[in-house]
Amino acid sequence: MTKKKGANHPWIIVYMLPLAVFFTAFFIFPLVFNVSTSMMKWKGGGEMTWNNFANYGKLFQDDTFLLSMKNNVIWALSQGFIQIPLATIVALILARNPRGWKLMRTIYFLPNVISTVAIAKVWTALYNPQFGVINGILKSLGLGGARNWLGDMSTALPAIILMTVIYIGYFMIIILASIMNIPKELYEAAEIDGATKMQQEFRITIPMIRGTLATAITLAMAYGMRHFETTYLMTGGGPAYSTSTMGIALYLKMDALRYGEASAAGIILILLGTLVIVAIRRALGKSDPMTEAAQ
Amino acid sequence: MKLSKTRRAVFAGLVLLFALPLFVAAQSGEIVLKWPCIWVGKDSKAPAIAEIVAAFNAANAGKIRVEIEPQPDYNAYEQKVRTAIMAGMAPGDIFTLKLNASTKDFYTSKLLLDFNEDLTGDWRKSFDAGAVTQSTIRGKLKTLPFETAILPIWYNGDLMKKAGVAKIPATMDELWAAMDKMKAAGMYPSSQMSGDTNAWTSMIWFSWFAVSNGGPDVWDKPFTDKAFVDAAKTIKRIFESYTTPDAIGAGAGVSGGHFLAGRTVIFSNGPWYAGRADLKATSFFPSITIAPVPSTGGYKNILISRLQANIAAGATADKARHDAIIKFLKFLTNKPNMARLAEVSGGMYAVNSGFVPKDNELQKQFYDMANKGYETAADLEAALGAEATLEFTQQLSALALGKITPEQFCGLVEKKIDR
Repeated sequence: MTKKKGANHPWIIVYMLPLAVFFTAFFIFPLVFNVSTSMMKWKGGGEMTWNNFANYGKLFQDDTFLLSMKNNVIWALSQGFIQIPLATIVALILARNPRGWKLMRTIYFLPNVISTVAIAKVWTALYNPQFGVINGILKSLGLGGARNWLGDMSTALPAIILMTVIYIGYFMIIILASIMNIPKELYEAAEIDGATKMQQEFRITIPMIRGTLATAITLAMAYGMRHFETTYLMTGGGPAYSTSTMGIALYLKMDALRYGEASAAGIILILLGTLVIVAIRRALGKSDPMTEAAQ
Repeated sequence: MKLSKTRRAVFAGLVLLFALPLFVAAQSGEIVLKWPCIWVGKDSKAPAIAEIVAAFNAANAGKIRVEIEPQPDYNAYEQKVRTAIMAGMAPGDIFTLKLNASTKDFYTSKLLLDFNEDLTGDWRKSFDAGAVTQSTIRGKLKTLPFETAILPIWYNGDLMKKAGVAKIPATMDELWAAMDKMKAAGMYPSSQMSGDTNAWTSMIWFSWFAVSNGGPDVWDKPFTDKAFVDAAKTIKRIFESYTTPDAIGAGAGVSGGHFLAGRTVIFSNGPWYAGRADLKATSFFPSITIAPVPSTGGYKNILISRLQANIAAGATADKARHDAIIKFLKFLTNKPNMARLAEVSGGMYAVNSGFVPKDNELQKQFYDMANKGYETAADLEAALGAEATLEFTQQLSALALGKITPEQFCGLVEKKIDR
């Protein structure tokens, strides 16, 4: 007996209802509330009064907020185009199963299971101008004295971006899993045809994991767009807002009881994030050859 | 669906077990007051607060019970209070608030009890009149002044001796000369910082400079006023020549850590720091001397002080609950309890308890300084609020790095002041 298409609809609704209620209560409602408060003057305690787009206007006239927006884009690009290439290189090496590759895989992934606070504190100590290991090494090599990496407007942002390289393990695992699924016959055939290892990587592996790479870049950029914790813990957005992101700007507005402006910053963050993600998906939007092969 | 007899009995038992305390509480008429409290755990006030609450509960058994909800993290506590008020709920029946130019907006909230009708007679007289005036905004007294502070600078006497500095500098010329000697002796003269949300240590120094340049009402002037520009020049000089290499971007932990480790000679903080066990454990603790920052302008003998924590209460239409709140607050702020609190914590309070410190020399210095009859003025954060203070903090780094001039620095802060 064959069932009519769509005969399960009532049950589908029942199954989806809890999640739909949860999603509405904890995402849709706050989002709508956020949109409305972004157009209000609201300092927390008193009356909420409509001020239309004044909060947005104020933010776009604020140099420090514009700098935060710029930093967000830098974060997104650095996460997408520094982390992912590095993660890919490591995954390509480990996929060749060198000695101790399983241990290396674990070591690379380890920072992802350690508290962000602990890592931020360790790196703050490493960057310390007086007692930090980094200055110690540079000094022993005769390459400079007591540079305040996190206290200098020109080095603070690159220093924090550099430290996030330790998180490549997360994407390395995703990419490695994708590489492991490539049929071995393709490599065997390439070897018979005399292709070098490097040629195999560029002609077989990279094209075959293109879809995974596109997804990884999108995810990494999304993480970059919402970057907050590490920078807040290490510099609080300073010095002179040089490491501030929109997330930090939003938080600081809330801390200053500027809830209307904080809401507006949140909406701008969502819109900018969506724009960046849509743009990157369009740029990398070709179909996944692995999926095509499966079909 | 039918339940077996045993299951029904277990179910009924569970219902009774959970409902009984509620039923008993409702029948007994006991009023339970919730107090989300920061003075718990390792906080220096925790033992005294716990004693006071226990004594009150014992004296009012069956009628009123105060329940402390521990909130040991200062930032998390402030966030909780703000979020609750923002969401239209009082954070508790009793709670504390840092009253400043930003949080004064909470006075417009109907969630907070106005103490004007209750704070009368002897109870009113027991409070420092100036602190009550500072806590009254547009005729409303929605918080009671509780913990207060003076914010002098601290000298490590042992290090001063080693550097060849014989006495506490009384003028800025003497301070510069002393700091030069400290530098020459291989020491970092002062703890400074431009991190966190208020650049606490350096904000205190800046406040002294600004007030001694422009007087106690300096905060009413535009931030582009000469008093502030000159103060910015002075703090810039200290950052450039007389502090640790990590001062730019450093937080309060780093700034205080240098002083605790004996790496810096001069520090700035409030009286609560005198009660720290790690400070008391240092070899130089007995040598610490506190003093005002030498005047940089025409105004002398003005102490920088602030209301550190005010007590607030949730407004209620229930008269019995309202009376219970007032009864507890009267008990909390009576002379013996406040004296005990001062003795245990090392803090200073807006209630005149008659307490005089005996064993802690540093604490005694704070009380002596406060009782000298100096005029007082607020610090930058208390006077101008969170947003201006944040701008001050962020741009202080740029000023110290020479990326902006003192005039530009003051102009940027002025833009963030909500007048």
